[in-house]
This record gives sequence, C-alpha cells and structure tokens, in this order.
Amino acid sequence: MDLLDIIDTLQSVADGVLFGTTYAMLGIGFTLIFGVMHKINLAYAAASIGAAYASLLILAGLKAPPALVFLLAAVSGGVIGGLIYLICFRFIPLANPLATLMSTVGMLLLIDEIIVHTTAGVPLAYPALFSDVIVRAGPFTLRGDLMFVFVLGCACMVLLLALLYRTKLGLATRAVSQQPAAARLCGIDLARVNALTFVITGLVGGMAGAMTGAAIGMLSPLLSLPLTVKGLIVTVIGGLGSIPGAIIAGLLVGGLENLFQSLRGVSERDLYVMLLLFVFLVFRPGGLFGSVGERS
Amino acid sequence: MDFYLGLAQIIGVHTLLGLSAYCVLLTGQVSLAQAGFFAIGAYVAAMLTVLAGWPLVPALAVAALAAGVTACAVSFPALRVKGLMLVVATVAFGEAVRLFFFNFDYQVARGDIRIGPHGGEGFRQIRYFPERGWSTLEVPLFIWAVVALVMAAMWWMDRSRTGAVLRAVGEDEVAAQSAGINITAVKVSAMTIGGVIAGLGGGLFAHYTTHIEHVQFGVVLATFAIAYPILGGLSNVFGTLLAVVFIQGFLVEGLRFLGDWRNLLFGALIVLAMNVRPNGLLDARSTTALRRLFGRQRGASGA
Repeated sequence: MDLLDIIDTLQSVADGVLFGTTYAMLGIGFTLIFGVMHKINLAYAAASIGAAYASLLILAGLKAPPALVFLLAAVSGGVIGGLIYLICFRFIPLANPLATLMSTVGMLLLIDEIIVHTTAGVPLAYPALFSDVIVRAGPFTLRGDLMFVFVLGCACMVLLLALLYRTKLGLATRAVSQQPAAARLCGIDLARVNALTFVITGLVGGMAGAMTGAAIGMLSPLLSLPLTVKGLIVTVIGGLGSIPGAIIAGLLVGGLENLFQSLRGVSERDLYVMLLLFVFLVFRPGGLFGSVGERS
Repeated sequence: MDFYLGLAQIIGVHTLLGLSAYCVLLTGQVSLAQAGFFAIGAYVAAMLTVLAGWPLVPALAVAALAAGVTACAVSFPALRVKGLMLVVATVAFGEAVRLFFFNFDYQVARGDIRIGPHGGEGFRQIRYFPERGWSTLEVPLFIWAVVALVMAAMWWMDRSRTGAVLRAVGEDEVAAQSAGINITAVKVSAMTIGGVIAGLGGGLFAHYTTHIEHVQFGVVLATFAIAYPILGGLSNVFGTLLAVVFIQGFLVEGLRFLGDWRNLLFGALIVLAMNVRPNGLLDARSTTALRRLFGRQRGASGA
C-alpha cells in the first residue's frame, strides 16, 4: 500500500466520520425511546426519512428559501413522532412488548408506502447547503456539505443534552427512564413524558433525515430500512440508554463503514459492519458505555 | 385455478416461516434472523438438487439441518443478550447472511450455460419440478404435506412437557430458572427448532420460485416471519396459519383490486389489528370460546 492509497483511505474514513453524525442522531433517538419506555420504535428511521420528505413538500408549497429545509424537517419529525406515539403506543397495553413492536413495523411499512405513493417511488433531489465550499488541508479535502452536516449534528446533540440535563422536562424524562414507579410517585405524568419523548426524538430524527438527504444529495424510500438497521446497531454498540455511547458509536460506525468500503468494496461493506456488531455482542454485550454486568 | 394453487404454495411456505418464528417467540425471544435461516435453507437445498443432482427430500433434509446447525451456533452468542439487543443481533445476523449470498459466487458449466448462485444476480434455473414433470397440483400438495407434518409436530410439542417448558421460559425467566429449568438450553433448542423449520421452508421456496436472489431474504421477510405469529396470537399454531392466510391471502392477494392503495392499507391494517387485538387475532380467550362453540367442553385446560 503506497502513500496515495493511505491518503485515499484516510480521506474516506474522515468523510465517513462526518456522515456518522446522522447515525449518531438516529442512535440517540432509539436509545432515548428505549430508555424511557423500554420499547423499540422500529418506525423511527422511516419517520425521519418521512420528515425529510415532508420538509421538501412544505418547502415547495411555501416557496421558502432552501436554508429553512432543516428546520421544517425537524418540525415535521416532531409532529410525526407525536403521531407515532398516539397510533402505535398510546392505546396498546404496555405489558405486551410484542404488540407495540408489531405496530411500529406496520407503521414503518405505512410510512414507506406513503412516501412511494406520493412521489411515485422516484428519488427526489435534496438541497445541500455549502456544497460548493471545499476546504483543502494538505492532501485532504473536506466537503462543505458534509462539514455543515457535521456541525449541525453536533449543535443538535448539544441542544438535546442541554434539554435533558438542564431543564425540568429533561429531569422528568431521566426520572422516568430510571424508575417509572418512583417517578409517578413524584407526580410525573408518565403518558405526557412518553409523548414528549416521542416528539423530542422526532425532532432529532427529522433533523437526521434532512442531514442524510443533504449529505447524499437525494432522498429515496429505500433509505429507511438500512438506516433503521444502522441506527439499531449504533444503539447496541454504544450501549443501550447511553447518549454519549450512541454519539461515539455513530461516528465509529460511520468511519469504519467507509474504511471497509475502501478496503473491500461496496458490496461487502455492510457485512463487516454486522460482524463488528457480533464482536461487540460476544466481548462487550453492554456496549461501549453500558455497564458490563447489565444485559437487558 | 392455477392462481389459487400458486397462492396455496405461498401460504404453505410462509406458514413454515411463521411457525419457525412462533417456536422462538414462545420462549419470549424476538428473533429477526428467521429470514437468514430461510435463505440458508433455500440456497443449500437448491444447490444440492441443481448442482449435485440430489432428489428433493434428502436435499430438503440437509437444508433443514444446515439451517438448524447455523441457528444453534448463532444462538449461543446472540442469546447472551435479550430484548432490544437480541432484535438487533438477529437483524444483523440476517443481514450478514443476505450479504453473504449477495457476494456468493459458485457456478459450474452445464452444457453451454453456467448455473449456480451468481452474486447479486442470484441463483436461476432451479428447475427441479418442471424437469421431473411435477404438475401444478402436485407441487402445492407436496408443500402442504410438509406443512401439515410440521404443524402436527408443533401442535404435539405445544401440548407436551416441552411446550410447557418453552412457555414457562417465555412467561417468566427467573421463575422458570428457579424451577430448575436450564433457560439457555431451552432458548438454544427453540432457536434450533426454529432454524430447522425455516430451512425447510426456504428449501421449498427455492424450488417453487425457481429463482432466488439475496433481496428476497431481507429485513422485510424477517419482519413478516415474526408478524405472522404475533398477529395470529401465540396461543396455538393455528393462529399463525390464520395470520398467514389473512396477510398473504387477504391483504396481499385479496386487495389487489385496490391497486396502489393496497400497499398503503397493508401497514395501516397491521397497526389497526395490533390496536384492536394486542394479543393476536386468535388469542387464548377466543380459542376457549371457539372450543365451547363446537361443544367440546374442555375448558381452559390446553389453552
């Protein structure tokens, strides 16, 4: 391997880490919902893509500047998140984990089909900001749109952490995730906290969907399943319920994915990501930041 | 008529897929790896009949065995975790199998064409049934004979001590463990049985479709596999059959006249069904009610 190959590989790893912010944000969403409700929302990544689509639709309707697209995506993500809570969780007994699992699968299929139905299945171009900016640093180049996605993702995560650790709502959310019964005794309305968690993760997810669209340059309903799988993998590698874990695992998976791609080609890339997950399951089932003893 | 025979084939094979997930779900584990075992069964059986020239029945047996051994091997690391972690682990395994077959290339020249699995293009020319001159009636009959056999075995297992042990682990692991049940052994056996059934289904699937490729065995198929028993209810094996008929017969084929709207309705109806009947279409209460209706006053003993 000569120097040029090494530079190429490093370049693609760097791009991957920048793109990894979207995985990190999806991972945060899965982790938060699991932390609060001990339920999996399999429709989450599909909802994020759906929110990105909705933002395009609203943008076209309002004739607003493309810069607003991220804000619109986040807002529609929040609305869709609330709807998912209402449709898939509110009226199903919580003691039955299989029922909500299945209802979110139904929701995933429904969201995908709504997207296919409204766009006739044709991928749509997504506006990327700063795509004409290219920063050169020695032999490396940094794409402006990816940098923007990275910065935006970091800003979102900081905001989310501030919300969770500096506000009353965040305190309530963390209380519910630690001990629902005790939280209720302190006068916390579980249904309200659960619903708000879905709205908040929806906001994050909508932003992640928009960032994915901006980084890839287009949106397609085919994105939702791979993103679901990647988001879940990030959740597990980072450690269930751990937000810093999800962030680091997201960047890690993003970077390693591109490393595998440049070493072994695109068709084998995801195979190695899955194997990576199995390595974690065998040697560190709690994930990067989870406690080793706990195996929930 | 041929349409209904074709539908019967699909329903039969999907019932096997659903039963494989049913077996694992009884122990309270959600496995999305069934599509992976299904794929292994499909490729192994097809390679044995097409490339090695084996008869169908031994090929199916070896395919089921291969899937079962894989399930057993994969369940040891996977069952160290449960809940969401297991879902993710099994999704990853299923995807790894799919990607393996996406990159799997093993072709031999037969005359002037090359046959065998060919990477992303898949495995064409699985012409066992047409070459042997099986009629369109014989194929579904054969498939349903296998399905009936598996269902009878599962029904029997469900009512024997084995079924009680599986359900005990599913209801409460700690209680089962303190009653002296080795829960790891129970879960691994459930996964293995599930793998065998899925492999059998996969082998049949490969032979009636004549062309298999990796995209058929993705996450969607895996979610269908668990959707059948969850939607049908875990009280007995007929719930799974009912759900397969509901999904494949009614939602997929019956609503075809709706055109594009069918796909939209599909997800919505699953969500609705889970809201209305969270324990499945055929839950323990309706089973008891049905028994009473048909005058067999056995009460809640087996249900």
